[in-house]
Amino acid sequence: MTDPQLVARAQEGDLPAFEELVKKYQREIYSLAYRLVLDAEEAKDLAQQAFLQAFVHIRSFRQQAQFRTWLFRIAINQCYSYLKNRKKFGDPVDCEDFVLVGEESPEEDLVAQDRRQRLYAALQRLPAKQLAVITLKLEQGLSYEEISRVLGGTTGAARVNYCQAIKTLRKYLQDEDDHEVAVRSYPKMVTRISRR
Amino acid sequence: MKWRCALIQRWLPAYPDGDLPSFWRGRIRSHLERCPVCREESAGLAETIRAVQAAGEPDPGEAFWEDFNRDLHLELARSAQAPAPSRFSKIPYYLLGAPAVALLVFWVASIYLHQERPGLAPPSPMAQQEKAPEKEKMAARPRVPAPAPEETAGSVVLATHNGYEMPPDDDVDLLLGDLDTTLAGMTEKEKEAFLKRLRQHDKDGSCSKEYSAPFWA
Repeated sequence: MTDPQLVARAQEGDLPAFEELVKKYQREIYSLAYRLVLDAEEAKDLAQQAFLQAFVHIRSFRQQAQFRTWLFRIAINQCYSYLKNRKKFGDPVDCEDFVLVGEESPEEDLVAQDRRQRLYAALQRLPAKQLAVITLKLEQGLSYEEISRVLGGTTGAARVNYCQAIKTLRKYLQDEDDHEVAVRSYPKMVTRISRR
Repeated sequence: MKWRCALIQRWLPAYPDGDLPSFWRGRIRSHLERCPVCREESAGLAETIRAVQAAGEPDPGEAFWEDFNRDLHLELARSAQAPAPSRFSKIPYYLLGAPAVALLVFWVASIYLHQERPGLAPPSPMAQQEKAPEKEKMAARPRVPAPAPEETAGSVVLATHNGYEMPPDDDVDLLLGDLDTTLAGMTEKEKEAFLKRLRQHDKDGSCSKEYSAPFWA
């Protein structure tokens, strides 16, 4: 059954039809939320909230856009509001927790894990909108037009935002590398500073 | 950095996608062929993109999804039973002030009008029935001459031949004003009653023809 058919049935209050839509998009929505908030438990809650909001307001969906785009928009709004609250009330995320959920093997390459942690630390420094653009473009594979529909604005604005986000991310990754090199070059000094 | 490099590097992250307009794609391609700085920048950006893509999507496992779907199913079933949010529930609370102010203005205006012109609203039949015995009682009660009013500056006093004695209210109605004007606003029945009363007063002598105009005491 196609998305428009399932949506039409869900709009009539058919819960199994909506749950089929949930099964179809739950991984994408969870992945998007995880990338934006970088916390597995929060991502789960936000994904569930996004689906719940979609179900409550599905009658207002007029099928002019794709259901997937509409769902992404709801999920991103949920994540934005969460990030806003986290910024307001200060809930720093520990970079040590940025291990992919489900990766339990201790034999995983330490270098790759270290690289991933640095990547997450750099991603966390990005503004929420740039992080959303990178996630939608590189992980969900949306075109600039679709991104503009999800985040608002024009296609050109989405492209400029993406270019800026990649350049900023590269700069932050270089900063992380430089910091790593500096820490490795002066281990005694770092130890002394940390003890103080 | 040359201005041309700055211009090209602005679009470099989008270059690998092939999602740029053909004009920019051609310009970037030709520039990268002869500019080592921009080539290096392009390689660095491509590496960053690869790093993000290589980070992979989190896969929490089947147990996680079972738990996720079970919780969500309960939430969805609960929200399906709840009534759909009404259109009016979206109205912001601060807009409720407008009808409240309108009601307040209406209330104040109605009180003001009621005080100014109490005769506007016709009395209800029940009220008329209640008032009828009171009128009869009042008519049966002997009329006591009103006490002499205090002579205060600026107060208007009606003077009669009997000195400062105030005539009863009915007499004041009869005495004051022009007779034609008074009769003009009455129906035939009222005219008849009025003239009858006037004649009665004339016979009694309570209605004085030597009525004098009010003067300032």
